[in-house]
Amino acid sequence: MCVECGCGDPKIVPYDVHERLLAGNDRTARHNREHFRDHNVAAINLMGSPGAGKTAILEATARALGRTGASARVGVLTGDLATDNDANRLRAAGLVAETITTVNACHLDADMVHRGLHHLPWRTFDYLFIENVGNLVCPAVYDLGQDVNVVALSVTEGEDKPLKYPTMFHKADLVLITKIDLLPLLPDISLDVIEANLKCVMPVPRVMRVSARTGEGFDQWMTWLKERRHHSVPGHDAEVRTGVTA
Amino acid sequence: MHEYSLVQAMFDQMEGIVAAQHARSVRRVRVRIGSLAGVDPTLFRTAYEVFRIKTFCDEAPLEIQEDASDALMLEQLELEVA
Repeated sequence: MCVECGCGDPKIVPYDVHERLLAGNDRTARHNREHFRDHNVAAINLMGSPGAGKTAILEATARALGRTGASARVGVLTGDLATDNDANRLRAAGLVAETITTVNACHLDADMVHRGLHHLPWRTFDYLFIENVGNLVCPAVYDLGQDVNVVALSVTEGEDKPLKYPTMFHKADLVLITKIDLLPLLPDISLDVIEANLKCVMPVPRVMRVSARTGEGFDQWMTWLKERRHHSVPGHDAEVRTGVTA
Repeated sequence: MHEYSLVQAMFDQMEGIVAAQHARSVRRVRVRIGSLAGVDPTLFRTAYEVFRIKTFCDEAPLEIQEDASDALMLEQLELEVA
């Protein structure tokens, strides 16, 4: 007790929190997830380095859906520090796309996605791709409310990226090894080594080899996407829709 | 460098606790960062040291417990109460 003035000594007390540091983000992510489930939207968080081919994959996905005559409606929220180049490319490919400009942030968070949704007719989508900021570190930390994480890894990035950035690949439900059409020019790159490295860090390794340029591997990718679709609405798959389709 | 965003989120979280507990200040911060959390503890500490200047954490050292999990937790605060 302070005897000088009788004000009382401050008391130091422990206060147990035991809460995730991103509890606020997690709450918004749960909210997003509920929205997606309620409206049967399969939300896919697409991550990867800058230049891994994320946008090209989505453009080629639009082409592949067009070829198969699938009725899926596809929308994209695309995050970049600056420019809306990706959204423009995706719109030119026939997709409904909106940019999230992050300015300085190296990742998307659940709140940015939530605000981005206000600019898209997302309730009508079968798939919502969230094309994250190109980065193999930060985006892996933030839950956005997605159903699945897909990571694009291009053959030009080197064989050991999964070992150097284990958290990102640990969280991936699927890894797309992209730009395989370039392999003839890369005699030192082995797909088997890349896949072996992925198996070291992915709890359940799921890997596909694709080329957005030639369409190689896209049959498998389209099948995987079809399996992600929500089936809670009877006849959802069979429904043929027109309008803004991919 | 998402460590700055994480520390910002932690300060928002702590601000709510300080207000709810009518605390004068925070005197110690304990967090747990797993090696699979995708967070660099050194960068996290640097960000914390920048953020805490002239805040309710001015006198609160940061303790980081590291483990092999993917945990990213605010575990405990020591609060100065009247």
